[in-house]
Order: sequence, then structure tokens, then C-alpha cells
Amino acid sequence: MAESDWRGLMIAAQEGNGGAYRRLLEEVGAWLRRYYRRRLPPSMIDDAAQDALLAIHQKRHTYDPARPFEPWLAAVARYKWIDRLRALKRTPSEVLSINIAVDDHETAVVSATVLDALLGGLKPAQSEVIRLVKIQGYSIEEAAEHTGQSISLVKVNIHRGLARLAMGARNAGHDE
Amino acid sequence: MNDFLNGLVSDLKPVRPRRPYFEAMMLAGLCFAELTLWLALGQARPHLMQVAQTTPAFWWRLASFGLVAGLGAATAISSFDPTVSPRRGLMWIVAAFALYLIGGLFLHGPSGRIGVIQRLDWSDGVDCLIKVALLSAPVTAALGVFMRAGAPTHRAGTALASGIAAAAWAAFVFTFACPHDDPLYVTVWYTLACALSAAAARIVLPIVARW
Repeated sequence: MAESDWRGLMIAAQEGNGGAYRRLLEEVGAWLRRYYRRRLPPSMIDDAAQDALLAIHQKRHTYDPARPFEPWLAAVARYKWIDRLRALKRTPSEVLSINIAVDDHETAVVSATVLDALLGGLKPAQSEVIRLVKIQGYSIEEAAEHTGQSISLVKVNIHRGLARLAMGARNAGHDE
Repeated sequence: MNDFLNGLVSDLKPVRPRRPYFEAMMLAGLCFAELTLWLALGQARPHLMQVAQTTPAFWWRLASFGLVAGLGAATAISSFDPTVSPRRGLMWIVAAFALYLIGGLFLHGPSGRIGVIQRLDWSDGVDCLIKVALLSAPVTAALGVFMRAGAPTHRAGTALASGIAAAAWAAFVFTFACPHDDPLYVTVWYTLACALSAAAARIVLPIVARW
């Protein structure tokens, strides 16, 4: 959008042209979101953009039609940005404890290690398609394309591989 | 977001772009009315014409406070525009104030050996503070209204410039009534009165004109 177009839309808006005003607000709104994305936390972007649009609406009579629109818009956006920063400073932020508790990942780590060991006992073609389809969520067709195996071969390898895995798991259980 | 934009568009009414010259004319009219009323109420000091012809300190005050008031008003009104900062205007005001102080150095005080306490005349000085504060109120209020209608992006600086303009104008008007021509008295009490009035405006106006 050329700056002169925004100026024309703003002049039309000052005269009460709703269509021009809507277009201006939509385009300026997108510009404001880009402006605040570089300056504020993501959670504040939409609020700041709305706040600035409201200020533009309330103070539209302070725009001088004889001057460029962009500096006026930038001044309003900057003013509202500084307002947000001040509000951010006033809002107390929670101090994170250094002893903050996190969930125990032991089960997941042990499962991954055991699964890795079991898959390591299969033929490479079997373990590869099981990883793709059963763990990573690929479709049979995608796995076939990815590995160069035919669709029916993928199905056979998964079936046989899973059977061997089950047998391996049972044997491991007996050993323990 | 769509609902929000719809709300703004449905609220759209034609607006007349802000006219700084109109605000300046309104303010000049108010100042003229205040001065006229002040003199019409018989507040002028005795033998005003004679004082004007023989006392440089009278013109020093009028010129200094008139200049500071003009610079303050111009700075304030121009900075009601969001793209204009009052910083440069405030620098000019500081320069004009320095000129006022330097000018005072070249003026003679009362002849004879008179103590500083006596020269400062506390009772008249307090009267000066009160009257300058009261006289600055109309201009402060008018600039506050214009500031609220405008979109100042440096509210503190704009409020300070408004306060200085109002206080300096009040000092200008009060000069016609003040019986003291001693540069020390003027420098201390007028400066203090202007500082207090400007500080009050600096505190109040940013709250009033928040947007």
C-alpha cells in the first residue's frame, strides 16, 4: 500500500466515507500488528493494535490533510507502544522459583530405550517402516514412497516386524 | 477484530481537521479579555503611565514574560499534534528565561543600603504568588481543553510548556498591578510564582489529557 493511498483514505474518512475508512483501518491494522510484533510480547500484539486503532479513530481530527499520513500514524503507534511498555512495567511479574518442579520423564526415557533396543533386533527394512508408520504417523503409502518398498511389502514388513517385537518383548519378560 | 472494526466504522462521523491557528486566536482572545478585565477592575498600580515612561524594570518584566508566554503557547499548541515534540520549544523557553535573568543583572535595585529581607517583602511576595496562580488558571484551563482535544505524544513536555505559558502570561498581567520594580524581588517572587504554577500544570494536565 502506497502511503499516498492511506492519506487519501484518511481524508475521505475525515469527510465521513465509511468504505474508505474500513479499508484504511484494515490495512493500518495489519501494519500495526507488524509494528508491535517487533516490539511487544506476542500476547500483547492484538490488544496494542486495537488500542492504536481506537486512538486513530478518536484522534482522526488531529491529522492534517496537508501533511503525509505515515508520520502521523507512526507517532500514534509509538505513543501507544510506550503506553503499553509503561503498563508492562507497572504490572508485577511473577518470579520463577529455582526449585520449580517438573514432571518426571523416567518412564518415557526407559520406554524409548527399550523400544530402540527391540527395533534394533529387527531387519532394517522392518524397523524402518515400523518407525515411520507406527511411531512417526506416516501412512502406508508415504512410508512406501519414503523407503522405496512396495505398499504390500511395507504391510508385510510391519506385520512380521511387530510379531517379532512381541516375541522379543515376551522373551525379555521371561529373562527378567 | 471484525466486530471491533465494524464498531469503529459505524461510529464514523465527519470531522473537521484540527486548526492550530484557531486555537492560538482563541487563546489570544482569552488573554486579551483577562488583561482588560484585570485593568477594568482597577488593579493597575498608581501612576502606571509615569512608571512606564521612567522604569526600565517595568518593560524588562513585560518583555521577558511576554516572550516566555508567547514561546510557551506556541510550543504547547504545536505539540498538540502527535508528530511534534515540545523539546525544541522548551529549549527556546530556557533561553528566553536565561535572557530574563541576564536582563535583571543590568537593572538597578533600590538606592541606599537596604537588607535583602526587606527588599524581598514577604507579605507582597506571597500576594504575588497567589495572584499569579489565580491569573494563570484561565490560560491553563484553556490549554488543558485544547490539549485534551489534541493528541500530544509527549504529554509531560506539552503540559510543562502549557504551564509555563499560563504562568508567564499571569506574570505579564500581574506586572501592571505590582508596585515593586526591584530586580531581586521580581527575580525571586515572579520566578517562584511561575515555577509553582507551571509545576501544577505539569502535574495536572497529563492526567486530564491522557488518551
